[in-house]
Amino acid sequence: MSQNDKIYDAVVIGGGIAGQEAALNLADMNYQVLLIEKGLSIGGKMIQLSKVFPTLDCAACITTPKMSETARHPNITLMLNSEIDGINKNEKDFQINFTKNPRYVIPEACTGCQMCEVVCPEIRLDEYNANLAGRKVAYIPFTLANPRIARIERLDESAPCINECPGGVKPYGYISLARNGQYEEAMKLHLEDIPLPGSLGRACFAPCQNACTRSSLEAPVDIRRIKRFFSDYYYEKYPEAPAVNIENKTGKKVAIIGSGPAGLTAAYHLALKGHSVKMYEAAEELGGMLWLTIPKYRLPKDVVRRDIQNILSLGVEFEVNTKITDIKKLKEEGNYDSVFVAIGAGESSKLKIEGAELTQVLDCMEFLSNEIPDEQKSLKGKKVVVIGGGNVSMDVSRTAIRLGADEVTIVCLEKRDEMLALDFEVNEALEENVKLHNASVSTKVFTKNDKPYLEFISVSSFKFVDGKPEIKTVSGSEKQIQADVIIPAIGLRPASSVFQNELELKRNGTIVADEKTLQTSMPYIFSGGDSHKGASSIIEAAGEGRKAAFYIDKYLNGENLMEFEDGDKLPASDKTKVLSKKDYTFQLPVEQKLRPVGERIQDFNDIESTFTEEEVLKSSERCLDCSNCRECHQCLNICPAFAIDFSQRKEIFDVKAKSVVVTTGFKLFPPSGKPEYGYNKYPNVIDSMQMDRLIAPTRPYNNVLRPGDGKTPDNIAYVLCTGSRDSAIENHNCAGECENNPICSQICCMYSIKQAQLLMGALPMADITIYYLDIRAFGKGYEEFFQQSKSMGVNFIKGKVAKIHENENKPGDLIIRYEDITTGQLKEAKHDLVVLSVGVLPNKEVTQMFTNKKLELDDYNFVKQINELVSPSLTSIDGVFVAGAASGPKDIPDSILSAGCAASEVAGYLSKLEI
Amino acid sequence: MKERIGIYICHCGGNISDYVDVEEIGKMLKEEDGVVISKDVMFACADSNQKQMVQDIVDNKLDAIVVASCSPKLHLHTFKNVAERAGLNPTNYVQVNIREQCSWPHSDQPREASVKAMGLIRAGMNRVSHSESLDNIEITVKKSVLVVGAGIAGMKAAIDLARLGNEVYLIEKDYFVGGHIAQSDNLFMSGQKGKEIVSNLYKEVKSFKNITVFTGVEVEKVTGSVGNFAIDIKIKPRFIKQKADFELVKKAMEECNTFVEDEFNLGFAKRKAIYKNYPEALPDLPVVIVDAIKEEKALLEKYATCFDLNQKDELLSLTAGAILIATGYDSYQPAEGEYGYKTVPNVITLPEFNRMIELNPNGLIHNGNKVKKVAFIYCVGNRQTKGDNKYCSRQCCSAAINTSIQIKEKYEDITAFHLFRDVRTYGKQEILYEKSSKQGDIYIRFDEKEPPKVELQGKKALVKVKDYLTAKKELELEADLVVLVTGMVSRSDSKHISEKFKIPIGTDKFFNEIHPKLKPVETVIRGVLIGGSCQGPKNISESVQSSLSAAAKINALLKSGTISLDPIIARVDNSLCTWCGKCAEVCEYDAVSEVEFDGKQVAQVNKAVCTGCGICAPICPYNAIEIAQFTDIEIESMIDGFMQKIEFNVKAAEEEKVEEKEVLTMKEFPQIWKNIFKLIEENKKTIPQLAEELNVSTDIITYHVMTMNKYSMVLADGMDTKEEYYYYTKKN
Repeated sequence: MSQNDKIYDAVVIGGGIAGQEAALNLADMNYQVLLIEKGLSIGGKMIQLSKVFPTLDCAACITTPKMSETARHPNITLMLNSEIDGINKNEKDFQINFTKNPRYVIPEACTGCQMCEVVCPEIRLDEYNANLAGRKVAYIPFTLANPRIARIERLDESAPCINECPGGVKPYGYISLARNGQYEEAMKLHLEDIPLPGSLGRACFAPCQNACTRSSLEAPVDIRRIKRFFSDYYYEKYPEAPAVNIENKTGKKVAIIGSGPAGLTAAYHLALKGHSVKMYEAAEELGGMLWLTIPKYRLPKDVVRRDIQNILSLGVEFEVNTKITDIKKLKEEGNYDSVFVAIGAGESSKLKIEGAELTQVLDCMEFLSNEIPDEQKSLKGKKVVVIGGGNVSMDVSRTAIRLGADEVTIVCLEKRDEMLALDFEVNEALEENVKLHNASVSTKVFTKNDKPYLEFISVSSFKFVDGKPEIKTVSGSEKQIQADVIIPAIGLRPASSVFQNELELKRNGTIVADEKTLQTSMPYIFSGGDSHKGASSIIEAAGEGRKAAFYIDKYLNGENLMEFEDGDKLPASDKTKVLSKKDYTFQLPVEQKLRPVGERIQDFNDIESTFTEEEVLKSSERCLDCSNCRECHQCLNICPAFAIDFSQRKEIFDVKAKSVVVTTGFKLFPPSGKPEYGYNKYPNVIDSMQMDRLIAPTRPYNNVLRPGDGKTPDNIAYVLCTGSRDSAIENHNCAGECENNPICSQICCMYSIKQAQLLMGALPMADITIYYLDIRAFGKGYEEFFQQSKSMGVNFIKGKVAKIHENENKPGDLIIRYEDITTGQLKEAKHDLVVLSVGVLPNKEVTQMFTNKKLELDDYNFVKQINELVSPSLTSIDGVFVAGAASGPKDIPDSILSAGCAASEVAGYLSKLEI
Repeated sequence: MKERIGIYICHCGGNISDYVDVEEIGKMLKEEDGVVISKDVMFACADSNQKQMVQDIVDNKLDAIVVASCSPKLHLHTFKNVAERAGLNPTNYVQVNIREQCSWPHSDQPREASVKAMGLIRAGMNRVSHSESLDNIEITVKKSVLVVGAGIAGMKAAIDLARLGNEVYLIEKDYFVGGHIAQSDNLFMSGQKGKEIVSNLYKEVKSFKNITVFTGVEVEKVTGSVGNFAIDIKIKPRFIKQKADFELVKKAMEECNTFVEDEFNLGFAKRKAIYKNYPEALPDLPVVIVDAIKEEKALLEKYATCFDLNQKDELLSLTAGAILIATGYDSYQPAEGEYGYKTVPNVITLPEFNRMIELNPNGLIHNGNKVKKVAFIYCVGNRQTKGDNKYCSRQCCSAAINTSIQIKEKYEDITAFHLFRDVRTYGKQEILYEKSSKQGDIYIRFDEKEPPKVELQGKKALVKVKDYLTAKKELELEADLVVLVTGMVSRSDSKHISEKFKIPIGTDKFFNEIHPKLKPVETVIRGVLIGGSCQGPKNISESVQSSLSAAAKINALLKSGTISLDPIIARVDNSLCTWCGKCAEVCEYDAVSEVEFDGKQVAQVNKAVCTGCGICAPICPYNAIEIAQFTDIEIESMIDGFMQKIEFNVKAAEEEKVEEKEVLTMKEFPQIWKNIFKLIEENKKTIPQLAEELNVSTDIITYHVMTMNKYSMVLADGMDTKEEYYYYTKKN
């Protein structure tokens, strides 16, 4: 995507105080400036600060006017949340490639009202508050952010459960809602995607659970049963689906052939889009497989009926007992604009062995059909053999048990661990006393002494070659078992032959349709679900229905289908990262409570019980929080400005500029680089940025308190030169982030003195001790500020701190061991809060930005000033200038001056270019 | 009086409307006189609403608008733009802040918040009904700049100013350019030679046709204001004829045998009566010291074509749109006896030492003695908690250490002692300190209260010092040379400059900027900027940065030939004014002057200079001066509006409001928040109590309670008896 053909006079990289100042100076000189900032707001580190030395002005008061001036300036184009991919120097200008990350909020629409933040259920560490408090995942970066626009912290990923769901359901979202007790909201989130939560909560094979990161630990989160809970909750609360009035009817008509999960889901979404929908069902009730063949003990029919109400309440019409055989006729007679064929796979594959025609061999679909009363199917006193190892086979076997069969035996080709049926289904069948003959192929059905028998033989190997099974048997291993009833459950196919003149069919009977759009060769006909995919599952079929609805809607609007993508899934989060990041504890899942075997095989009632609220909480709290945004859509639903947009993606820009100003600032030394100081180990050892947040007017705490226990500290220590003037830093603790830093960071003495003065105001009774090597109060008014702090009673000790550890007698309090330089003695002192005055490290990201020329660094990895004394902004690349702390530690006034200087030198450079 | 006012009251989502009954207020204001439109809107700032406002203004011919929403800091410009787009003068727009000043602080008293909001809006409405249409003040400016001081800061700025097409006058008090850096042979951090930098810069300056350099200049008089300053300067003569043969002048200089004190070499050399500061000094034209050369009659006769001892000062008037002051600093001159200066012959200052090193290429010799032991005493004339110069000169530590490294490299057998208070080699200069320590320099720390004493002992200086690094052990050092590391002080003529340009001087006697961060190179006099070390101690790089920063500001100021200023300035009612001068006295910007009007003397406000600060208005005994947009009638009408009794539907408000409406507050997620809430609902609790009851560690409870505090869900309510922990309660 190319932004525009405008050539900027200068691109400024970094929107901290130096970047803003450079941009403003250039813009005031009438140059066109592009300011690229990585963060969500301009302001840099300065906007995080409490007050600034030596004048003790509030930092916000100083920097917000500059921020708004920058944001408003007609000559400055702001690009936030953007990262530089490469800067290429051409002969006369620069090519700058950068990526703007999605915020999932439309900036023009967002008013910063914070409602999304109010409803967002998730909290993460608040970086603005130096991780001392939390913030929501949907959030305004900070009160004074400019622009004040929310961000949904959806990283470039979806949680694995969301990513895995073929129906596009968002388990990660509803788990979060469920654990907050927002069951109704959870249900509504589910209903955004698939209208069959009741059925899925009982009978879904839950691929999400296989994907669950916790499945690599003890066991996955019980997503299905959480869903079952909230759908039961909702259905109890709303026994009748509340009527929905669809506004903006389109006047378009769609016929749907088949009312299984695919047909129902498609009808639902199409109706929501305002189209008139009518479903045609051959059976006497709606629901397809849900109604017809899934056994009641797995899926009670009242649940199916209630699910279907979700669709019918939208005004979807239907006709049952109607078998459609001519699509064209249907379209013409009904004046339909489009037809969705979702007839499912309801025909069972026939057994092709000797004796298969015998009357004792039943059709599995007919056997399971709810349209035949159980009494008629009664198997009292009969021996039943079921052929096949899939889920249908389990349904058949377990139904047979419930119908009173004496003995039920399954004969299947696969070994136990290769069976297609879900493991828990097989286990439950075994519990219910179903016998299993694995790795066996049936060879014939015959009658002996008037009794039917099935003969089968052991299989030594079996594989598919060109789609056909190739079976090697063990000769002489034949076995015969008596079987009053033989029910093959060896596969299902669509009953599509009636459409063979109208649609292209595959050999297995499935209807050919475009894989992306589900459109068939007849543009107005779409096909999805099992009739397109072959026998699958409820959620897969429903997913196809949803997809079909999406593209049918586009078709009805006359749009080019290929231009659209259904859903807003992102790649799955990296589980290893999740596991390495998270400090998880071992938590077994809530034990599944099935009715006792003896009891449950007596009837067709639900064998599983619904979670209690407590169990939902326990279960949902096992979620490992794989991703940040949970896609629970609470923000989306509440935003009064319709500003939230989950379909946003990264945008790539390619712009030209005549010059570049590097104002990438600095990084703070990560205190973990000095493990002997106990940061991370002792919560009351904090760094100076954290203290600045604690004393800021916008602080997250009600006063200066210890983060370890909220105590009001009365004896605070500062350890200066943490990570500065130090060539003995351990690198292994911080992944190379902190390195030896022989130079002085220039700002730490002064900000520590500033904090000490502010602390004396906030905590008048507190003692403050500053451990220092030299006090470097060198700027205008700084020495006076230092002297003032001494006269206020700040205690200065020239000492090198060796170690900080917790007071065993008084946990939370700390003991500082230090060398008193004035006496040479090793001493110890007690404090109840220790502040590490961390130093300034180079921001090394800048080196990777330049692609065809090397931006030289100095010995300390700051951007090298090639003529520091005379032309302080020049770098090793002609046309690239540096300002602020990118070239070395600087306080705010020095950064501002260096930015003004850079602006002047850029202007000079540009005027030379013109000649 | 405005008669067609439009009022917009913003819900701000629920930020305002959750507490303030914006609908009711909107309805009530509709009835007020002069109000044509009064609406409550979900988001006043939303693009759709802005468009609607433009439409309303045009359709209903509105003559003023009021928006009651958030702080003007956020959206003043937004709505000014709306007015402009609709063809309404933006000064006829008033923003009323009913969020930060009303709904937020009074969320616990929604009814009172509504009443206050009503009052604030009425005040705004009354004010706007008296508003005037004012246009920005446009001033034509001259694209020329006067740069005062031709040190590195001045020359660098002159170059960048000239590059953008400004006419630049670079004036220098001395006869030669370059300032202090020409005196240094080895500049720290880069090792560059100051003289080379000066030569290169001067060459660059001379390559610009639009820079005129004047040396030997004094500023006589400055008048005018931003855009149009007039500066009278006096150029002192060099007493060399304009058409003199340059070769002959040089010859004369060579043959001259009269020597006088050499200020440039700080007493380590003498200069001739026809001199240049140093052979390469620029401009490449010597100066004659008239009093001294008078003795050399023969020489004068021989080179009669060269000299004109009767030359007079030349007076010149310059005009400039802006002025950059870059007059630099003076080195602190120790008093006689200060650390033995002038009383002990082995005591010299650091600048003197640097001259001495440069002029002694063959060895480090002082007063004929070889120097082996050098003691540097730091912070001389600086960091005097009781003295005049309380500040730190920021560059002297590095300068001294740099010199110490240099002598060690240059000469054998040197021992250097550094008697310091704090070594302030900030930033990368720390490396100098490290290098010096590694080469064996000895660092001794003294305290200001017990400074070192310097006495003469034979041919050497005896330095007595209490070393604070060895438990205040008293040390006695014998040094061949004691170098006083002197700091920077403001220039001796800074008072003169300050008076001429009317720029203020700080307590440190350096020139003062308006604000070190907001306006670091600007002075209270618009158009007069400061750069380099005249503002305070700076090293070379820092000086250049500040002067180029000032150059950038000047370039921006002068770029278009005009300056557009806000119309919010003071204005005088000539019929009331009696010229008592009180307003002129208090004006910090010197914007008020006396003029004759209609036969009497009155005050006149210089529009270009006035900042609208308003200090003059209350001072005037005759009420003759007022500030546009803040006139008495506007302010009084606001007070009237706010004081007006509000017949707010009190009953209705009390009975029906608030309870019914679900106020959107932060949801109680996650689970732990719910648990915390449950516990503090009945009784307030401290963090340790919560931690114990929930069986969660105190740091995690702190994290959550504080997050809830941040989101205004909990409230600190008193402290425990030991005053260690706060109690927290649920905030409604």
